[in-house]
Amino acid sequence: MREFNFTVSDPDGIHARPAGLLVKAAKAFESTVTVFAGDKNADMKKLLALMALAIKQGQTITVKVEGADEDAAAEAVEKFLKDTF
Amino acid sequence: MALDYSKCAREISEVIGGGKNVVSAAHCATRLRLVIADNSKVDRKKLEDVEGVKGVFESNGQLQIIIGTGTVNKVYEEFLSFNGLTAATKDDVKAAAAQRQPVWKQMLKALGDVFVPILPAIVASGLMMGIVEALGKAVPGFAQTDWYAFLDTVSNTAFAFLPVIVAISAARVFGGNIFLGAVIGLLMVHTAFINGWSVGSTETINSFFGVTDGVVPKWHLIGDVVTIRRAGYQGHVIPVIIAVWLMCRIEKWLHKHVPEMIDLFVTPLTTVFTTALLALWIIGPIFAQLESWVLLGAEILVKNPIGAAVMGAVYPWTVVMGLHHMYNVIEAGMLASVGLNTWMPIASAANFAQFGACLAVGIKAHNNKTRVIAVPSSMSAALGITEPAIFGVNMRFFKPFICAMIAGAVGALFGAVSRIGATAYGVTGIPGYLTIDKPLQYTILLLISGGLAFLLVWFIWKEGDAGAKQEAAAGAEGDAAAAPVSEVAADAAEQDALGAMELREVMTSEAGALYAPVRGRVIPAEQIPDETFAGGVLGQGVGIEPEEETVYAPCDGTISSVAETGHAIGISAAGDQELLIHVGVDTVKMGGKGFRTLVAEGDAVKRGQKLLTFDRAAIREAGYPDVVVFLLTNSDDYKGFKVTGV
Repeated sequence: MREFNFTVSDPDGIHARPAGLLVKAAKAFESTVTVFAGDKNADMKKLLALMALAIKQGQTITVKVEGADEDAAAEAVEKFLKDTF
Repeated sequence: MALDYSKCAREISEVIGGGKNVVSAAHCATRLRLVIADNSKVDRKKLEDVEGVKGVFESNGQLQIIIGTGTVNKVYEEFLSFNGLTAATKDDVKAAAAQRQPVWKQMLKALGDVFVPILPAIVASGLMMGIVEALGKAVPGFAQTDWYAFLDTVSNTAFAFLPVIVAISAARVFGGNIFLGAVIGLLMVHTAFINGWSVGSTETINSFFGVTDGVVPKWHLIGDVVTIRRAGYQGHVIPVIIAVWLMCRIEKWLHKHVPEMIDLFVTPLTTVFTTALLALWIIGPIFAQLESWVLLGAEILVKNPIGAAVMGAVYPWTVVMGLHHMYNVIEAGMLASVGLNTWMPIASAANFAQFGACLAVGIKAHNNKTRVIAVPSSMSAALGITEPAIFGVNMRFFKPFICAMIAGAVGALFGAVSRIGATAYGVTGIPGYLTIDKPLQYTILLLISGGLAFLLVWFIWKEGDAGAKQEAAAGAEGDAAAAPVSEVAADAAEQDALGAMELREVMTSEAGALYAPVRGRVIPAEQIPDETFAGGVLGQGVGIEPEEETVYAPCDGTISSVAETGHAIGISAAGDQELLIHVGVDTVKMGGKGFRTLVAEGDAVKRGQKLLTFDRAAIREAGYPDVVVFLLTNSDDYKGFKVTGV
């Protein structure tokens, strides 16, 4: 299992449209990708669940990746997060 | 141990600054939803500790208190009765929606909001009155029986005291105290005044006041400057609504400015006194003057066929203003001078046109609520009592009203040209056969006016018409407020809101059909001015160039996310569908300005329920496209997925 933290710097937080792209990025892999924010968590492959977390600027999230391609997946997701948010 | 509802309600009231601090109260399946005047008076900490309260949060300008299914409605009722509040719901939402409309639409809407809750009363009375009057003419001697007197009394009660019913309903719509509203309504038909229906009769005036000149006397409060004509306002609607509207303004202003200690007696006293004076001194007389002008105008008009046609068109407006009760004077005059009442065919044409229009609405409407109002209302109109049809249906949707005016004019023209008339007065429509001199021509007249109105409405009116949309929703809300508030009623109200949404399928898959969440032109996703949406990255869907500013639920489902900035809503629906409605492009940058969400995460929604409103002007001003993006985000999971609405 791979795990990393990420602090959102996008002033709008993780909102609808880029969240969709994030889901797209996560879906490219077999591994399960779970986002933990505060006391809630969501499957990163589900847009609505991800949006429901309402992740804001300055918030630190934890991403856990587990599965056959977890290394590649974690790397891709982390890169996407850094580039986008 | 079961929750003590009344204790819970009382404790909630105490920690939110009392009932005075509550602008409006409503509840959904689990939550008490309060709009609070002064949030600083709310002690969140204590509120969360109240037994029975499972959570508290603020959303959409509402203080939402989670209480739970099956208990929230009981706590709500206790809460209302403890604080002396009425069950008017969603006022804030309605008011906000109303503010963006032109004045005449707001006025029509107010009229509709006032009338919809009282329709059962006037439909019942209207139908009974039509039947009783017809029997009175048809069965010789029946009009002299006790049965007739009894039935006549029962059936005209709602009309004789219409100002009272209207005043109560208006007070609720305009946010005043309904009992003060009742006082104003009662005042306008007080027994100290001569019945408004009798002011045309010299004899009645003479016997009522003990005078000989047949003039309604006045009270001179300040010489000839402030005088009150001692005539009641039976059958009047507009002056009452205006008076009550004014009353609510006065009352609210006083509540704000009078020190709390003396508020309880100063405010109601001042409110009633001021309103009563203004209503009887200024508002009423303006309408009395209007009345006499209309009468004068009507007498001149009906002397030639063109004038008759004009009268046929204008007639329903005079019903709206409550002036039609005066026409008996004209009819009586005609019978006395030439022995033939040529007014009656005009009134009949106008009334039967209302019947035709209302019936067409009733048959064409998909919304069950509209249907069940329109059909009986049209029956009443066929018998000559048009108030239910006009106020409850045609006027609210407005286009049917215009159609009926046109048809009424044509019918009246035919009546004047074919020179038919009645030998008595008091009945129109179907019962008119009892008094008409030429039944064949009369039949043609009814067919022309009723038939033309029906056809016009059938081809011109659409259920989703702008006016209708607001009204249907308002109607549903109004009724929900009138009914005992329960979850059942709330659910019904939600379903009734269906009539407000245009049912237009835009996507379909094995999981079901999805309907356009907003009215407007549907465009293919590729034309959405944003590459992410256009490229289908977030799933397949459509764009809609909105023509209105309300987003409705495209199907039944559960709200899975509401963007804090109010511009996007996620819905989970049957078959694991994950829907995204995103209003505008880049609108997240507006930080919520111009958006107003009406649901919260976790809410179950019905297809057609209002989800959010947005301000197109604000979006344009901010420089973003206002296209509403509607996507099935997991469209890849459905083999049968198709975009159908483009």
